[in-house]
Amino acid sequence: MKTYIAQRLGVGALTLFGMSIVIFGMLRLAPGDIVDILFATGGYVNPSERAAIEKELGLDRPVTVQYVDWVRQIFSGDLGKSYRYDLPAWEIIRPLIPVTLELAALSLIVSVALGVPLGVISAVRQDTTLDYALRVFSLAGLSMPSFWLGMVIILGLVAWFGWIPPVTYVSPSENLPLHMVQFALPALAVGYRSSALIMRITRSSLLEVMREDYIRTARAKGQSGRVVIWRHALQNAILPVVTVIGIEFAFLIGGLVVTETVFNMPGVARFLVEAILWRDYPIVQNLVMFIAIVVILSNLIVDMLYGFLDPRVRYGH
Amino acid sequence: MRRSRRIVVTLSLASIAILVAVTPAPAQTPKYGGHLNLMQREDLPQGFAVHETSTIATSFPSMPCFNNLVVFDQTKRAETVDNLVGELAEKWSWQDNYRNLVFLLRKNVKWHDGQPFSSKDVKFTFDMLREAPDAPAKLRINPRKDWYSNVEAVEAPDANTVVFRLKRPQPGLLVMLASGYTPIYAAHVNPASYRTGCIGTGPFKMKEWRKGEFVDYVKNPDYFMKGRPYLDSLRYVVIKERGTRTAALQAGQLDVSFPGETTKTAAEQLKKAVPGLVIMPVGTAVNDNVIINTKKPPFDNPKLRLAVSYAIDRRALITAVHQGGAVPGASQPPRPYGVWGLLEKDLLSLPGYGKPQDMKAQARKLLAEAGITAQNPLRVEMSTRAIAMYVDLASFVINELKQVAIEATLKQVETAQWHPMATRGEFQIGANLTGLGVDEPDANFNENYACGSPRNYSQYCSEEVMKLIEQQSQELNPQKRMQLVSTLQKKVEADAARPVLDWRLDYFTMWPYVKGLVPQDNIYNFGRMADVWRDK
Repeated sequence: MKTYIAQRLGVGALTLFGMSIVIFGMLRLAPGDIVDILFATGGYVNPSERAAIEKELGLDRPVTVQYVDWVRQIFSGDLGKSYRYDLPAWEIIRPLIPVTLELAALSLIVSVALGVPLGVISAVRQDTTLDYALRVFSLAGLSMPSFWLGMVIILGLVAWFGWIPPVTYVSPSENLPLHMVQFALPALAVGYRSSALIMRITRSSLLEVMREDYIRTARAKGQSGRVVIWRHALQNAILPVVTVIGIEFAFLIGGLVVTETVFNMPGVARFLVEAILWRDYPIVQNLVMFIAIVVILSNLIVDMLYGFLDPRVRYGH
Repeated sequence: MRRSRRIVVTLSLASIAILVAVTPAPAQTPKYGGHLNLMQREDLPQGFAVHETSTIATSFPSMPCFNNLVVFDQTKRAETVDNLVGELAEKWSWQDNYRNLVFLLRKNVKWHDGQPFSSKDVKFTFDMLREAPDAPAKLRINPRKDWYSNVEAVEAPDANTVVFRLKRPQPGLLVMLASGYTPIYAAHVNPASYRTGCIGTGPFKMKEWRKGEFVDYVKNPDYFMKGRPYLDSLRYVVIKERGTRTAALQAGQLDVSFPGETTKTAAEQLKKAVPGLVIMPVGTAVNDNVIINTKKPPFDNPKLRLAVSYAIDRRALITAVHQGGAVPGASQPPRPYGVWGLLEKDLLSLPGYGKPQDMKAQARKLLAEAGITAQNPLRVEMSTRAIAMYVDLASFVINELKQVAIEATLKQVETAQWHPMATRGEFQIGANLTGLGVDEPDANFNENYACGSPRNYSQYCSEEVMKLIEQQSQELNPQKRMQLVSTLQKKVEADAARPVLDWRLDYFTMWPYVKGLVPQDNIYNFGRMADVWRDK
């Protein structure tokens, strides 16, 4: 087991190294840089002033030197300085992470809480009116982009109640109930879409398992339908669902851009897009690396979970 | 009898109603205390470094922190020389036939860090802005250096006196000093530090800038104007998504909208949803224009440039793109939104302002002279910024040009590339927006039409225009100056230097309990917030 984890972490480190080159290269391939944006706010460009700012920010150095500097900074725990804000990158990134992690976790809770039970019901009641209704419900969830749903929620709330959730971040220590209200709606909007996917995977996986011989045997032995489904069938059908949950979590960390924008939440994804538009390399590089780390770790955790959920899965042999 | 009595009663009631309606409400006594949430469209691009930017996203949320020498009276809408009031300057006077501008400064003014304000700070600011050889500091980006090209020296003979010595008379300088883009920086503070914080003398002190979220201000208890400000605190809430911004205003989470934010359609929808909201239509000093590269074929041919200007129906643009929320005008903001706007009869004589069919016919004639016809159309690339308001404008212009045999394809350019591309002249024709920091011909013509100016994207250069710019700038007789500016405007439009298509209006919105906040006809120059109070 330890060897397996060490191997996976080793592969993860290699992936991160590859990612760092891709992120670094892609950013430099995009036309324009921070200096262009700074001049855009001034409405003109002056070549000599431009060169001076490039020098000040270290953008005049060879790209390889810039890359090596960045990697060295990461290893020394210094993420560099934001070009835009002239502040240490970590100082800017740090408050964003809990917001996105919380929103992603809550969205995932909503999606699992909705998706798994509904998937089970849909599978058990296959081809009934309830099954059709739930399938339509899930298809609607997959078809509706969460940002659109978010905007509809906001516009609906303001039109009917003259109220919307707070547009500035409320920390849990400041006001816990308001904090929960602020996170509940985006979590619902995002969670609904994810739940649709989880529901469909749960349904199809469960239907497959329920046709297995051991399920028939369990039924023949006189076990109740509930025990057969929840203890025997679902336990074996859950592996693909866990995989999807892991992928969804990783996706949510970087994929909440529009939801965070619509609900005006100061998270990683929204800030990342803003940083890309500003060509704020230190912020973009480090945020993307953070997302890559989350993706690698969540995949590792999902793989570890297989061992707990299915005794047949063994590592290190 | 009964009927006539009923008529008398009805008329009496009607008279009372009219009397009530026309009688001005008694001036309310301002209340102290309270907090306001104001809309902010995007995070502050370079913090509070107003002198390093030309964007309302920096100037509006920075206004409460700073003071100018003079400012347009924040309780009045019009930005005229008659509405100038002193801020850090108590008095001022022109001397030596408008060659010296002398300011007597207020005493006992303190910076937010407790340091005393003096003439040193004024000299420091303007030496830095005009890049004087002995300036103690340099801005990394200096977009308004040209505004001060006529300033020969700034002298501080004592702590409370500043003298601007000019190379030649320039009455318009005083108005430029009133712009929201002309705050005084502290000499003891590194100008770079304004990118991350704000030390000003203004009515509010910056408390916190949470990046991408909000800027918080608290009342400056040491503000030099006794009894001001009224409010205890302000928050500029950054909301990137337009729908969310509007919903937040409608839901009362924001008390005040962002200057230039509310279109006519949006205002109508808001008014319908919340009838109590106060909506004030004002000018913005932002125009839609077409930049035409005069140095590259095919538009190095003046006839083709003129044809473009003739082809675009300004009134149709106002109806189609702005749903009536804009007004036609030449290179200075039109009246009543501006001081220097052309008279209607003059405007009608310019290319593109007459009857649409006549204008299009004139465009076709000019094009035909260059061999361009429906059978042999001119194919060009129309560049614009990849932002909805630019793309809408460009799409309209493309459609207009198509009707006169100019087939333009749309090229959307990302913000990072737009200004380098425009400054380097790497385009044929482009749809553009231009905001004027102040309604003053010196600022506008030097920035946008003078030979060699980096913002003169069309790279238009006319000796005659340069002479007129100089001439109007030093003209001391207001009527004569008005005539010269009028001639100048007609000349640049007739040359299709950078055809102006319309001037955008803003439907500035706030809740009725917000008192004392008067939007002006230029989005860049109001929002000091010292006179604003909350009646709730």
